[in-house]
Amino acid sequence: MDFEPNENQTAILEGLEQLISGQAIEAPKEGVLLAFSEALDAELALGGFLDIAREEEFTLLDAALVVERLARLPVSAEVAFSALVAPLFPADAVQRPFALASGNALAPARFLAVARTLIVDKRDELLVIEVDPARVQPVESLFAYPYGELASLDGLKVQTFGAEMAAAVRRRWRLAMAVEGVGLMQSAIDTVIEHVTNRYQFNRPLGSFQAIQHRLAVAAGKQQSARWLALRAAWSDSEADCALAAGYLQDCIPTMVYDLHQFCGAMGLTLEFPLHFWTYRLKAMLGELGGSSAQARAAARATWPDAA
Amino acid sequence: MPSVQAAMSADTLEQFRAGARAWLRANIPTHAAPLEGPESRAFVLDWQRRMYEGGWAGLTWPSEFGGRSLTVAQQIVWFEEYARAHAPSTHNASFVGLNHAGPTIIACGTDQQKAFHLPKILSGQAIWCQGFSEPGSGSDLASLRCKGRIEGDEIVIEGQKIWSSYADIADYQELLIRTDPESSRHKGITWLICPMDLPGITVRPIKTMAGPAKFCEVFYDQVRVPIAEAVVGGVGNGWKTAMATLGFERGTASLALQIGLVERIEKLAADCTDPVIAPRIADLRADAAALKAMSYSFALASESGTPGPEGSLIRLYFAELAKRASDAAVDLYGIGADQLAGDHGWAYDYLEAFSETIAGGTAEIQRNIIGERVLGLPRGKA
Repeated sequence: MDFEPNENQTAILEGLEQLISGQAIEAPKEGVLLAFSEALDAELALGGFLDIAREEEFTLLDAALVVERLARLPVSAEVAFSALVAPLFPADAVQRPFALASGNALAPARFLAVARTLIVDKRDELLVIEVDPARVQPVESLFAYPYGELASLDGLKVQTFGAEMAAAVRRRWRLAMAVEGVGLMQSAIDTVIEHVTNRYQFNRPLGSFQAIQHRLAVAAGKQQSARWLALRAAWSDSEADCALAAGYLQDCIPTMVYDLHQFCGAMGLTLEFPLHFWTYRLKAMLGELGGSSAQARAAARATWPDAA
Repeated sequence: MPSVQAAMSADTLEQFRAGARAWLRANIPTHAAPLEGPESRAFVLDWQRRMYEGGWAGLTWPSEFGGRSLTVAQQIVWFEEYARAHAPSTHNASFVGLNHAGPTIIACGTDQQKAFHLPKILSGQAIWCQGFSEPGSGSDLASLRCKGRIEGDEIVIEGQKIWSSYADIADYQELLIRTDPESSRHKGITWLICPMDLPGITVRPIKTMAGPAKFCEVFYDQVRVPIAEAVVGGVGNGWKTAMATLGFERGTASLALQIGLVERIEKLAADCTDPVIAPRIADLRADAAALKAMSYSFALASESGTPGPEGSLIRLYFAELAKRASDAAVDLYGIGADQLAGDHGWAYDYLEAFSETIAGGTAEIQRNIIGERVLGLPRGKA
């Protein structure tokens, strides 16, 4: 077993750091609800970081490391679907950015406000819809992603795939959530650790209170567990591992997000404090693909097909 | 244990309920409540005035100050009907006046303060905000530094407050300042009424993660208030007055919100057809029934006097239940659903619920109160 980044991964992450520092990325000053960065999105695509899993010398795990790193930024770009789901399709067959929907093609979907392709998992079939941006209605939401919705599919080009492809997309969607989620959790925890280290109440740093230390320790343990599950899922690309990783992440979100905001007090409730850049996105993932219990059932079906 | 039914005859209560229901049906505003700014102020004052003129404001407040001197049981019935009618949220700009400042003035104020301020609060003529927290004094309220220098019959205020909800549209502030510069911690603090239009006051709204800019920072630069009119409970005695305020805030102030949450969880249960979410909703219903029993018995037991520390048990239970309920609602209805939008929508609650375990003493402070003052456990080192 080797838990250290290999040469390729180190090179990719170094290149990514250069791109990030070249972008001079800062948290939006006004505390915006939508922190989508068009510039970052375009640079990543141009730099080839979103096509890594398509390259012969690289793996899905390498792409996952890119997704995880980018999720730690206080801005979002359509990274996880492009890097982890899109490689299931031939390179020229679909155009990014992507939005994914479950069941209903007309429901609000993350990234649909900026997407060129909407992929709809209907379980027994998969719809791949070429999106006309003029037809997308942006949806105002509190979840820090550019949500959008379509009023109808009339006149849009729709390709239909079978249940096998639908299952593959669902598997990678779970992987995408798991990997992005652990990056979001890491930055959220880092932000809170800085706050409770520097914020004094009762003449001592908040972080010196055991009630806070213990819960932050649990949060750190959960994040680490979620991270290794996500990376294992990216390595194996198996149905069970991807479902477990996504379900574990979703299971952790409510308590972790609550605790992290709680430790920042009223400051953590404002848009002048950066924590929401990560926690809003985690909350958006909470119920995706049916929530943690649906992922647990999928993992059980994949692991014990006869019993499930 | 006292009960709503025992507190009044069933017939009388049902007549009261019918009257409340009929009035609400005829008078509820048809448009959604604005969440911030001057529109929010106008809406809140107008709605409060209508309730006052209809005889539905200050039900348990003394009649000599504009209230109706009714029982807590009737207050509970009114809140039940209010919630069922989807009347405007009580968690609005009138909250501090009706639930903190008013009860504190009733308990600790002078006759002149009662006569001047209480009718204004009830009749929709004044909005209040709270000025307790400071940038360096949140949970550790006793470390507050905002100063008040006594000059003759005036206090001159210098300093800063933060997290003062609706300070940008308020007429008065319940303000906690340190008037004895030699004192520390709980001593030398004064609770006073500060008119928000005085020279030297600057208000800066802060955007919250729930959307509206209802939080504010308030800066005081040589702000002068007359001692006789402003000080409640005596100069230097402000900690005791503040504890009365916080007793109301942690005790019965959230009763309407608690009843509203119980009603909304019933609606979740009625709407739930998803077998995956159903067990969560069932748990929430059990929690809601427990909350209802706890909050009713506590409110009835607090009928005559300031609520005791047991209120923290209910405050904490309610705050954490509100979070779980809004999480479940978003999962049940999905992002973009009609049930999430608007004044009574779950999306606002989803993010606003974060403040429930912070405002009026964080969940950690409430747990300390429960441990030390309810269970009698030894105090830890601060």
